Amino acid sequence: MRMNLVLELLDVPGQLVDALEPIGRLGANIVAVIHQRDVKTEQGTVPVQITIEGDKDTLNHVLSALEDENICIIAVDGVLRKERIMSILIGNIVDQDVKSTVDMLNALDGVNVADFNLKMSDYPKNSAARILIEAESGKRKEVLKKIKEVGKSKEFLVINEV
Amino acid sequence: MKIFIMGFGAVGKGVVKVFSIKGNNLKQKYGLDFEIVAVTDTSGTALCDKGLDPDLLLNTKEKTGRVCDYPEYGIPGLSSPEALSKVEYDCLVEVTPTNIEDGEPAKTHMLKAMSDKKDVVTSNKGPLALCFKELVGTAKNNNVQFKFEASVGGAMPIINFAHENLSGCDIESIFGILNGTTNYILSRMAKEGSSYEQTLKEAQEMGIAETDPTQDVEGTDAACKIVILANSIMNMDVSLGDVEINGISKITPESIFLAKKEGYLIKLIAEASLDTLEVSPRLVKEGSPLSVEGTMNVATLKTDLAEDITVVGKGAGSVETASAILSDLISIWKSKK
Ligand SMILES: NC(=O)c1ccc[n+]([C@@H]2O[C@H](COP(=O)([O-])OP(=O)(O)OC[C@H]3O[C@@H](n4cnc5c(N)ncnc54)[C@H](OP(=O)(O)O)[C@@H]3O)[C@@H](O)[C@H]2O)c1
Repeated sequence: MRMNLVLELLDVPGQLVDALEPIGRLGANIVAVIHQRDVKTEQGTVPVQITIEGDKDTLNHVLSALEDENICIIAVDGVLRKERIMSILIGNIVDQDVKSTVDMLNALDGVNVADFNLKMSDYPKNSAARILIEAESGKRKEVLKKIKEVGKSKEFLVINEV
Repeated sequence: MKIFIMGFGAVGKGVVKVFSIKGNNLKQKYGLDFEIVAVTDTSGTALCDKGLDPDLLLNTKEKTGRVCDYPEYGIPGLSSPEALSKVEYDCLVEVTPTNIEDGEPAKTHMLKAMSDKKDVVTSNKGPLALCFKELVGTAKNNNVQFKFEASVGGAMPIINFAHENLSGCDIESIFGILNGTTNYILSRMAKEGSSYEQTLKEAQEMGIAETDPTQDVEGTDAACKIVILANSIMNMDVSLGDVEINGISKITPESIFLAKKEGYLIKLIAEASLDTLEVSPRLVKEGSPLSVEGTMNVATLKTDLAEDITVVGKGAGSVETASAILSDLISIWKSKK
C-alpha cells in the first residue's frame, strides 16, 4: 500500500536526508518527494510531501520512527495530524515569567509550544508575544480555552485566531 | 403610509432626505406614498396630519437647529412621548440616541407606539440589547411589526437577509466586524505602524471617532450588535451583560507587527456561537473574508446548509443607515398589501 505524508522540515542542509533515512532503513519504498522550498514559514520551515510504499506494518514503523526523531508530521493521507494554533499576548510578559507561560500550555496532553516570539515595547507592561502551538487535531478548543485562562491569570490581553 | 420620526439627528435627517430623493420613484415603482406626519427633536415637534415637506424640514433644522421652528406646524416644547398621542400615524421611526443604561427614552417610545397598535422601525441599539424579548413580545401581543435592520451594520444587510434569504438554514455562528471606528483605527495601525493613541486622535480629528470614543473602542457598541444578532437570528435569549468584552485600547504596534509577520491582521471581532458570546481582538488571516479595511463592517454567518455566507457594507452614515430603515418600511408596507 501507499501512504502520503506531509512533513515539515527546517530548510537547512541535511534535514531532508535525515527524514528519508528511516524510510529506507525500515524497508519502505520512496515513491515521490516534493520539496517546496518557496513556501517557507517565518520559523524557516518548509512543507515536504513524501509518498512511500510498503506493507501496513512497515509504514506504521516508519511513522513511529519519524516521530521518535522529532520530525514534524503534518498530515497522513490528507488527514491533518497536527493543528497549528497561533495566538498573541499583550502584557507584562517578561515579569510574568515566560517559562511558566510556556509550561502551562505544554502541560496539556498532545500540545507543545513550537515557537515563541517576544517583542518588547517602550513600556514593558505592554510587550507582545506571539506563540505558535502545535496540537494533536481536535484539541483546538481546549488549547484556546487554556490560552485564555493563562492570559486571565497573568493579566494578559489574549488575541486568539477566529 | 404615515410616518412619525422620533429624533432628527444624522439618521433622522437621512430618512427625511431619502424620502425627498426617492419619493417619486417609490410612488412609481410600488405605488407607495410616504407621508411624514411628525418629527420630534429635543426642541419640540413639527406635526401635520396632511404631511410635512421633507425639504422644508431639512432646511428648518439646518437653519435653526430646532424642528419646532417649522413654519405653521412647529410646536415648541411638545416633547416625546406626548407627541405620539397628538397625531394619527402608521409607523414610528425611532432614531433617538442610543442609551445602554436603560434604553430610554427610546424604549418608552417604542412600547407606547406598539400598544397604540403602530408598527415600529428603529436603528437604536440600546433597547434591543437590553430588553429584546420584552420589545419583540410586546410587538407580537399587539399584532404589530417591529423591524430593526439599521441597528446592526448600518447599511449592511444582515437581519432581514438571514430571516428571508437564509430562512431555510440554521445559523450556527456569527463572526463579524460590527464597529467601523475600531476597524478604521486597527486598519490604520496595521498600515502605518502607528500607536493606538496617535491613531485614535487622528480618527477623532477626521470625525470618524467620537470625542468620547469609549463605547466604540471598549467594544460596547459591537457587543450591543452581537446581542441583537444572537437574539434575532440565532434565537438566543441574551442581553448586553452576557457578552464577554475586550476592546482595542490595549492593542500595540508590536502586537500588530508580530501578527503581520505571519500573515495575520488584528481585528475587533464579535462572535456568537454555541458556547461563546464575546467581543475581542482576534487574529484574522490577511485576504480572508473578514479582513475588510477602513470603516467597513462585515459578518460571516455559518449555516448548516449553505456553509459560510459573508456580507460586507457601510456600517454607518446618515443616508446609508437610512437605506436600511427605508427597506424595513417598504417591507412592512408590502406585507400589508
Ligand atoms: N449615525 C449612524 O451612522 C448610525 C448608524 C446605525 C445606528 N445608529 C443609531 O441611530 C440612532 C440615531 O443616531 P444619530 O446618529 O442620528 O444620532 P444623533 O445625530 O445624536 O441624533 C439624535 C436625535 O435625537 C434627538 N433626541 C434626543 N433625545 C430625544 C427625545 N427625548 N425625544 C426626541 N428626540 C430626541 C436629538 O435632538 P436634537 O437634534 O435636538 O439634539 C437628535 O435630533 C442612535 O440610536 C444610533 O445609535 C446610528
